Amino acid sequence: MIIEPCTDVVCSIWSILNQGPMTLTIFLHTLIVLPMVWIYFDEKKRLERGDIPDE
Amino acid sequence: MDKKPSVWTSNRFWRRSATWVTGVSAVLLILLTFDTMAQMKMGTEEDIKNKIDRRIPSPVVINYKIDYQLNRRRGHEVPIIGGMDANGKSKYEEKEKFFGRDDWSEEEARALIHKGKLTIQAKNCMDCHTLLGNGAYYAPDLTKAWLDPTWDTLAPAYNGKEYAIKEFLKNPPAMAMHERKMPNLGITDEEAKAVVAYLKFMSAIDTNGFPRNFGKIKGAVDARK
Repeated sequence: MIIEPCTDVVCSIWSILNQGPMTLTIFLHTLIVLPMVWIYFDEKKRLERGDIPDE
Repeated sequence: MDKKPSVWTSNRFWRRSATWVTGVSAVLLILLTFDTMAQMKMGTEEDIKNKIDRRIPSPVVINYKIDYQLNRRRGHEVPIIGGMDANGKSKYEEKEKFFGRDDWSEEEARALIHKGKLTIQAKNCMDCHTLLGNGAYYAPDLTKAWLDPTWDTLAPAYNGKEYAIKEFLKNPPAMAMHERKMPNLGITDEEAKAVVAYLKFMSAIDTNGFPRNFGKIKGAVDARK
């Protein structure tokens, strides 16, 4: 089974996400990195449009 | 010349990224703090009666037999309180006399364990030992000291494991077992009893399998040489 039932003493969202040695880490990094990709393309679009004022 | 602007040199991009990462990390840390607080909440006598597992059980666990067994699903040893059922979980049934009694009330047990904690602090055990991984690395970790098989071999001669540990604490050099000898810290009979209660209680804490073994620390250091 891909998603295994929680084996921790006190179950929480973190222990459910912690399916293996890397799963929690991968989940949290994805959560942080994916919006950064969006930020990158958003900034690129703005730069190309030239609507960024000089700092 | 290509005048295409680069996002990588844009201050705005880095500022937005940094704000996002800092913000998410802060929220995550707050959520994890609440999760940790839930994990660290001490169980009650009711939990033991209702056979509800808690990472930190009620002080009344000193009335029960505590074992340390490999849990295959979790991949490490877990404390088993009052016997193990077919699923490898604590049964909270098998009692064990602790200094002649197996009916310590929650208040009595808590008071005794608290006295043990104060003694451990007063005698600076962490100058040499670690408790739950905190302290100095000169002497063995005491988290699961109660479960150290050495005490089982000494138990019959002292009419019980708790008496053997108590006698050891009152005059460690007389019962030295490690190359690094523990000094006599002048621990009284009552204090030693309380420390044993503290150690027994601590051994029932689910520490995700920490520590892994009861090895002897080799290499005595003689400060007078």
